[in-house]
Amino acid sequence: MKNQERISDNKRLDLVLQELKENPYRKFRLAFYLMSIIPFLVFLYLLVARFFTIKILMGDIGLIMFISIFISLCGFYVGYSIIKNILNKVIIYASEAKHSDQLKSTFVASVSHELKNPLSAIKTNLFNMLTGLVGNINEEQKNILQLCQNVIERMTYLINDLLDLHKIEAGMIETKRVLCNFIEILEKQIKELEAMFNKKYIKLVKEIQGDDLLFWADDEKITRVINNLLSNAIKYTPEGGSVILKIYPAGEFVKLECVNTGSVIPPDKINKLFNKFERLDSTKEGTGLGLAITKDIVEMHKGKIWAESESGEGTKFIIVLPRDLRTKKR
Amino acid sequence: MAEETLKKILIIEDEQELVLSLATLLKSRKYLTVAAYDSLYGISLAHQENVDLIILDLGLPAGGGFYVLENLRKSIKTNTIPVLVLTARTEKELEEKALKLGVAAYMHKPFDPEELLSRISEILTDK
Repeated sequence: MKNQERISDNKRLDLVLQELKENPYRKFRLAFYLMSIIPFLVFLYLLVARFFTIKILMGDIGLIMFISIFISLCGFYVGYSIIKNILNKVIIYASEAKHSDQLKSTFVASVSHELKNPLSAIKTNLFNMLTGLVGNINEEQKNILQLCQNVIERMTYLINDLLDLHKIEAGMIETKRVLCNFIEILEKQIKELEAMFNKKYIKLVKEIQGDDLLFWADDEKITRVINNLLSNAIKYTPEGGSVILKIYPAGEFVKLECVNTGSVIPPDKINKLFNKFERLDSTKEGTGLGLAITKDIVEMHKGKIWAESESGEGTKFIIVLPRDLRTKKR
Repeated sequence: MAEETLKKILIIEDEQELVLSLATLLKSRKYLTVAAYDSLYGISLAHQENVDLIILDLGLPAGGGFYVLENLRKSIKTNTIPVLVLTARTEKELEEKALKLGVAAYMHKPFDPEELLSRISEILTDK
């Protein structure tokens, strides 16, 4: 594939806009200079005629003016042609972008259909075998089938995460703006993950400031963010460790800090945490997309997320979200 | 148990492997199954067979799931049959549209077979 073909949509738009921004103005500026040169040339002609006592001929002045106007008109014509050409490019680009959006939608629909349908069939068949619907199986066969079932679950998570990430990045997901209660969302997710906390004997410490941390956001997506953060904290906190959650208002923002007593992340790796498929420990379950999705959602809300890791303090994830998303430009 | 008393479920789904595994699953709970692999045949079977429930996929050839749903709702013979949508599509608007058309349940693929069985049982009990 040629390099040119690999240029992304955004890059192409930038190039067209750059061209639109610079080129025609340059030509018009040239035409303007040529126009302004007319009186100067007439003045020069008169000056030369006076010094060298040359008879001033009106015909000569007319000729100079005619040539100057002709050059100026040529400049205008060139400028007009360039603008027309660039506008055509913009129109073609816009229609291509529309087509590209349609292709993206079709891609998501196709992936959903082509991957989830076979997964459903495999999952149902495994269930049919494991529950003895199609005959008895021994313990060893059962273990093998259960392994397959775990793999299918992991694949399902991966496909769902990939599709979500694709939808967010392609701008196919809209952000709702409803009045949410941060504490309520948080408590609900803590309850949902209670079994996971208990399983690893992880102590959860909550430090909440403010009675009702109300803010405008997409409640479902923020729920996903909180769930991802807490699941991640549980995953990387050793048995018997603790997770500290601090939530407090910070001016126009609401701030959440999630600290886990897991191992310290080296500085060169901490910035890569939010990259797709970046996993600090490949032995831990996960798709490596959770934090990338979390970051995308936070940014969709015009918020910020980052991580800090220091020896003796564990790893801290900090999220800052505007309380009134309605005042933030999308 | 006499065949007349058994509940009959119509599966409208284009993925044949899934239809087979669903049929095996449903058979374990003594449900009778009939299957159609496209929209038009699905509508035709819904009229011919006296079914108690329809499991409907949305991404179907020859019309699509909503075409089936709208047709079922238009006919006096089929408008009371409960429909359980089983789809790979995750768009919220599709779910809202289906619920507006009166589907009894809406589930995403890949589904949990146990959950599917319990939803079917609930629908057929409420019927």
